[in-house]
Amino acid sequence: MSDQHLLEVRDLVVRFRTHDGAVHAVNGVSFDLAAGETLGVAGESGCGKSVTNLAIVGLLPKPAGRVEGGSVKLEGRELTTLKEEELRQVRGSEIAMIFQDPMTSLNPVLRIEEQLIETIQAHREVTKEAARTRAIELLTAVGVANPESRLRSYPHEFSGGMRQRVMIAMALALEPRVLIADEPTTALDVTIQAQVLDLLRRLTEERGTATILVTHDLGVLAGMADRVNVMYAGAVIESGTTDDLFANPRHPYTVGLLRSIPRLDGETGGKLVPIEGRPPDLIDAPVGCSFYARCAWRTDRCATETPALLPIDGGKGPIVTSGPAATHVAACFNPVAPEEVAEGRPLRRSGGATR
Amino acid sequence: MFRAALVDPQIARASRGLWGDAARRLRRNRPALVGLFCIVLFALAAILAPVISPFDPYAMNGSSLDAPSLTHLFGTDLLGRDIFSRVLYGAQISLFVGVGAVVLALVIGGVLGAIAGGFGGRIDGVIMRATDVFLSIPSILLAIGIVTALGRGMVQLMFAIAVSYAPTFARLLRGSLLALREADYVVAARTIGASRMRILVRHMLPNALTPLIVQATLVLATAIIDIAGLGFLGLGPADPRTPEWGTMLVDARRFMQTAPHIVVFIGGAIVISAIGFNLLGDGLRESLDPKLKR
Repeated sequence: MSDQHLLEVRDLVVRFRTHDGAVHAVNGVSFDLAAGETLGVAGESGCGKSVTNLAIVGLLPKPAGRVEGGSVKLEGRELTTLKEEELRQVRGSEIAMIFQDPMTSLNPVLRIEEQLIETIQAHREVTKEAARTRAIELLTAVGVANPESRLRSYPHEFSGGMRQRVMIAMALALEPRVLIADEPTTALDVTIQAQVLDLLRRLTEERGTATILVTHDLGVLAGMADRVNVMYAGAVIESGTTDDLFANPRHPYTVGLLRSIPRLDGETGGKLVPIEGRPPDLIDAPVGCSFYARCAWRTDRCATETPALLPIDGGKGPIVTSGPAATHVAACFNPVAPEEVAEGRPLRRSGGATR
Repeated sequence: MFRAALVDPQIARASRGLWGDAARRLRRNRPALVGLFCIVLFALAAILAPVISPFDPYAMNGSSLDAPSLTHLFGTDLLGRDIFSRVLYGAQISLFVGVGAVVLALVIGGVLGAIAGGFGGRIDGVIMRATDVFLSIPSILLAIGIVTALGRGMVQLMFAIAVSYAPTFARLLRGSLLALREADYVVAARTIGASRMRILVRHMLPNALTPLIVQATLVLATAIIDIAGLGFLGLGPADPRTPEWGTMLVDARRFMQTAPHIVVFIGGAIVISAIGFNLLGDGLRESLDPKLKR
């Protein structure tokens, strides 16, 4: 394990206070991000992917949402206790974000020029002319034709893909160390999706930007991410390099996710298999494994004890949390055996493989 | 309806920008054009009063209570003053006090609303409860109270009306700001590290101003009626000779039986200007709201 990761999230706990009680949105999420690495985060709606990211940059909706525990360290510097003003300096210049909907993420009444220059001048003491030159460079880099004249355009004069390119230009304007892309292509056409993803990959590789890529599109993750965290009910339940995870999923939920998407290399006429049931209500504090109610592999132990993220091979060596040699970990007492993955159901009486 | 959904309006025609679009929609709205015509008439009367009025509005130029004639288009009042000239100068006062009051109300209400909606929390609570108090008092009563306390005069009149309208503007702006606080581009601006003040001034206020513009136009109509109303109640300009419409109406009321044309001309002036602002306000609301795009 390296001495220090670029971004270290430890036991992050986020709660939302509502009229019905506290929503346990994020329950002890830990992960590391090394410089230049792309971490994919997968999971269904409401599993805490976006909330985790908002918590990292301190933008949880106030006053309902609060970080109630854990730490977020950027290059060793604790972010959760920073004052708003200090956090503001971090946002944009060290951690930048791209959102899902490029149609609404740009201010409709301001020209692209003003929004780009604003981003640059919010953090750098530069003249308007210098910022403008930089803005033109950025638009060129993200593939906007005629950047000089396009700077004078309003957001509604751009197409969706072009707007997302502008958003990427804004996010990368200050060469952040970490880029959080929250479903950056969900709102775009499939052909445009591929272009935007290519662009994103090229730019982050060129600049050595570490990326957290949130998506529910596993195909996107397979192509883009070095490592993947699978989240369920506010916790990471399986994590490993993309290759490991796709080739050898061990958590029943990950298996379910993979089986619920169509495959090009699979048999024709095969049915997609949904995961039965619904995610747990996060208002109740979780007891036992959060996937218990929907799991075919469950045992009595799963109802009362919460499984920890442990190496799938039961190895005793140190857990590597980042990089290409990251340890494949899963939070399951009764992990799916390789031969069961294709079947999607346990091939044993009960108890099954233990570790 | 269906065609609108199929053809993206941004592709269907070259964009003219927010204001270009709004102006084009306004031109198609007949009631709004009538309103605009009334307002232009009113504004021209006010601005050109010294040029076009045939007589000095303060001087006696004819015999008492003359019927309308070519010399005195609207006739004369009890003291033989030319009513046409007095109505023109009255427009000047209504326009001056009305616009002044609404601008003042916009400034007071706008600042309070921006603070409340932009910062929220305790300061929001304090400002909103204060506006509740002001809104619970009928506006004309509040204005009477303020004029009584400050004394009669045009500036006092302006201030009184401004104070009674400011809470409405404050609420309106706060409401639109609250709705914008969670807007994606506001959150996006926060993620790039824009300061709170900058987000409020550059990103939120420009997007929240539309309802304020509409409300200001509509309130101008009420303001003109309120000014006349206060004048009618004897709380108009300090000098009773001033050709203020409400004050003139009180004098004219006594001769409603013998010389009804005086009341009709003065009342007509009030009606035309108030209806003008009302129609234009409604038209603006429709043309500035992109959701009503046709």
